[in-house]
Amino acid sequence: MASSSTGRVVAVTGACTYLGGELLRRLEEDPRYARVLALDVRPPALAPGGKTEFVKIDLTQPTIDGELATLLERHDVDTFVHGAFLSHPTHASEWAHELEDVGTMHVLNACAGVEPRRLVMVSTTLVYGAHPKNPNFLLEEAELRGHRDSRFVNDKVRAERQVQRFAKEHPRVEVCVLRFAPILGPTVSNMYTRFFSRPVAPVMMGHDPLMQFVHEQDAAYALQKAVESRAVGAFNVVGKGVLPYTTVLAMLGRVPLPMPQIIARQLTKVLWTTQLVGSPPSFLDFLLYLCVADGAKARRELGFSPRLSIKRTILDFLGMAPEDGATDVARAHG
Amino acid sequence: MTDTSDPPDRGDDPSGDDDWYGEADPRVPDASAWPDRDLGFLGDDIYLGEEAQVAAELAGSHVPSVSAEGAAELRELERRLEQQRTPVFPIDLRRRLPLEAVWRRWRALAMWGRSDVVDDFGRDPRATARWEWLFEFLYSKWFRVEATGLEHIPAKGRALLVANHAGSLPYDSAMVMHAVRRDHPARRDVRPLVEDTVFHLPFLGPIMNRIGGVRADPENAERLLLKDELVAVFPEGEKGMGKLWKDRYRLQRFGRGGFVKLALRTGAPIIPVAVVGAEEAAPMLGKVTWFAKNIGIPWIPVTPTFPWLGPAGLLPLPSKWYVAFGAPIDLGKAHGPAAAEDRLLVNRLADQIRTQIQDMIDGLLGQRRSPVLSAFLG
Repeated sequence: MASSSTGRVVAVTGACTYLGGELLRRLEEDPRYARVLALDVRPPALAPGGKTEFVKIDLTQPTIDGELATLLERHDVDTFVHGAFLSHPTHASEWAHELEDVGTMHVLNACAGVEPRRLVMVSTTLVYGAHPKNPNFLLEEAELRGHRDSRFVNDKVRAERQVQRFAKEHPRVEVCVLRFAPILGPTVSNMYTRFFSRPVAPVMMGHDPLMQFVHEQDAAYALQKAVESRAVGAFNVVGKGVLPYTTVLAMLGRVPLPMPQIIARQLTKVLWTTQLVGSPPSFLDFLLYLCVADGAKARRELGFSPRLSIKRTILDFLGMAPEDGATDVARAHG
Repeated sequence: MTDTSDPPDRGDDPSGDDDWYGEADPRVPDASAWPDRDLGFLGDDIYLGEEAQVAAELAGSHVPSVSAEGAAELRELERRLEQQRTPVFPIDLRRRLPLEAVWRRWRALAMWGRSDVVDDFGRDPRATARWEWLFEFLYSKWFRVEATGLEHIPAKGRALLVANHAGSLPYDSAMVMHAVRRDHPARRDVRPLVEDTVFHLPFLGPIMNRIGGVRADPENAERLLLKDELVAVFPEGEKGMGKLWKDRYRLQRFGRGGFVKLALRTGAPIIPVAVVGAEEAAPMLGKVTWFAKNIGIPWIPVTPTFPWLGPAGLLPLPSKWYVAFGAPIDLGKAHGPAAAEDRLLVNRLADQIRTQIQDMIDGLLGQRRSPVLSAFLG
C-alpha cells in the first residue's frame, strides 16, 4: 500500500470499546490520517468515509503476534493504539487474563519486530489502587499498587509493567500510556456506570472518600490528543474537581445503604460468587480510601485539559440538562 | 347535546387559520388554545433550554407545537436512544409513573447540608457552615478560648502553623482553625493536617475532611502550601494524642522533622502555636490497647468520664483554653530550599522550634494561678 506517503496509518485494538469507537470516528474525520485499521473480534459500527478497515484480530489466540506483525508491516502502521481492555470485571477471569495480560504481550511482540513510530496504551487510574496511604492527588510516578485479589485491576497493572519494560528496551518507539479516571457519560458502559445505575448503592459505614470521574467526551478527546502528540510516558486523564462518594450518590438520587465493613465484604463475596453483582468484593476498597489522580502532567505535556466539571459529568450521565431540567420533549404529548 | 359534542378546544373561531394546516387531528389539543408564552403546561419537569425560551419570547404568541407524527417520531428516537445509553432510569417508566417528582424530592433531601462543589481536598462549604455553630459554642462558651498573637498570621500567602497536640481527642485542631477564622481580620481558613489514625476513623474522619482537614502527607502539605494556604501541623502526631495525664504539656519528639523540610522547600514561614487547656478537657488517665485494634483504632482512651458514661463521656470537660501564636520564623530566608536535604540541620531546626513551643506552653501555664482549679475557672 502506498498510503503512508499521504498520511498516517493508525491501528486500533479494542475497536468495539467506547474509546476505540470514538477514536475511529475522530480519526475518520481528520484528513491527516490516511488509513485506520480497526482490530477487534467483531466489526465496530464503522463511520462512513471508507478510511477505516476492519481486521478480525483475537488477542487470546496463541500465535496472534505473528499475524499482527505481518499486518503492521503490510500496512506500514505508524501509530498503534492498544485499547483492548475490559471495562468491567468478569467472572471469566482466565479469559480476561489471556486478553489483557497475554494479549498485551502479543501486541508488544508484534511491535518489537515492526517498531511503529508510536504506541499508545489505554489504562485506568485504578492501577494505583485505593490505599489508606495515597496522597490526595496521585502523580504518574506513584507506585502501581494494583489491588489485592482483584484480577480485573491486577491484569491491567501487569500489562502496564510490560509496556514500561518495552519502552525501556525500545527507545525508538514513543510509548504513551493514558490512565483514565472512571469514565462517566450518557453512552459509555463500564463498571462505574453499571454501579451507579442501580437504585441502591452500598456505603461503607462512616467512610466517605473523594471520587473523581472523567466525562466520556473528554476521555475520547484525550485519546485523540495522545495519538496526535509526540509526548512520551504515562499521563493521568482526569476530570475537573472531586466529590465525596455520598454526595455523588445524592446527586444521582441513589439510595445509600450504609453497611459495616465486615458485613459488606461477606455480602459482596456471596453476591459475586453467585454472579448476582458485577463488582467484585475488592471493589469495596474504592469506597473506603482515596484513589484520585493529578491531571497536571497531561495538561502540561499532552495539551489536554478536561472541559467538563465533575458536576456536569454526573448530570450528563443522568441525562439531565445542567439547569436541572429533563431533556425529553416528547413527553409533552405522551 | 350538539354543543357538548363540539371539540371544546376549537376556540372561538372554528373556521379560522386552522385551514392553513389542513384537517386538525382531533386527538391533538389545538395549539391555538394553549396559553401563550406560559410553558407551564409542559409540567415543571420540562425545561426546553435557553434557546426555546428565547425563541418563545421572540415569536411572541407562537409556541412551537409538536404534531402527532412528530411526537411519535420523537418517541421512536427516544426509544432508540434508550437502547444505546446506559439504562440509568428508563424514560418510559419515568413517563408512566410519578417517580420523577418523588425522585427529585429525594435528591433535594439527600443534598441537604452538602454542596455539589467541594474544593480539591474535599472541604465542603455547606458542611462547614453546618458545623459552625458547634465550634462557636465550644470556642466561646465551653472552652472560653483566649487567643493571642493572631497578628503574626499573614493576611495572605502561605504559612505553616506548628502546634502542640494535647488531649485525647482532636478538639485542639478545631479550635486553632476556629480562632483564625473568627478573630483574624482576614478570616482565613486553616487546613489542619490530620494523622492517619484520625483521618480513617469512621464518621469522625469524613467530617474532619469535609470541614477542611487534610490527611497528613508531605505531598498534600506541599500542594496546599504552594497554593498559598495556611496549613496547621501537629508534629507530635499520634504520640502527642496518646500522651497520658502524667506527661501533660511535655512535648513529644517532633516526628522526623518533616515540617521543617516542608517549610524549607516551600519557603513558608513557620508560626509556632501553643495550645493550653486541651489536656484538662480530655485527660487521658490510661489507655487500653487489647480490644482497640479489632475496631481499627490504636487505643481506647480511659478518661475520668469515658468509658464510664458511655458515648457522653467523649464530650470534653469545660476547661479554660489559651491559644498563643508566636512570631513567624522564616527558615527559607536563613537557609534556602537546598537545606531540606541536610538531615542534621533539619533535625536541629525541628528541635529548636520544639523548644520554643515548649517555652510558650510553660509561659502560659505559669500564668495560671493554681494548677488544677484555674485549669477550669481560668
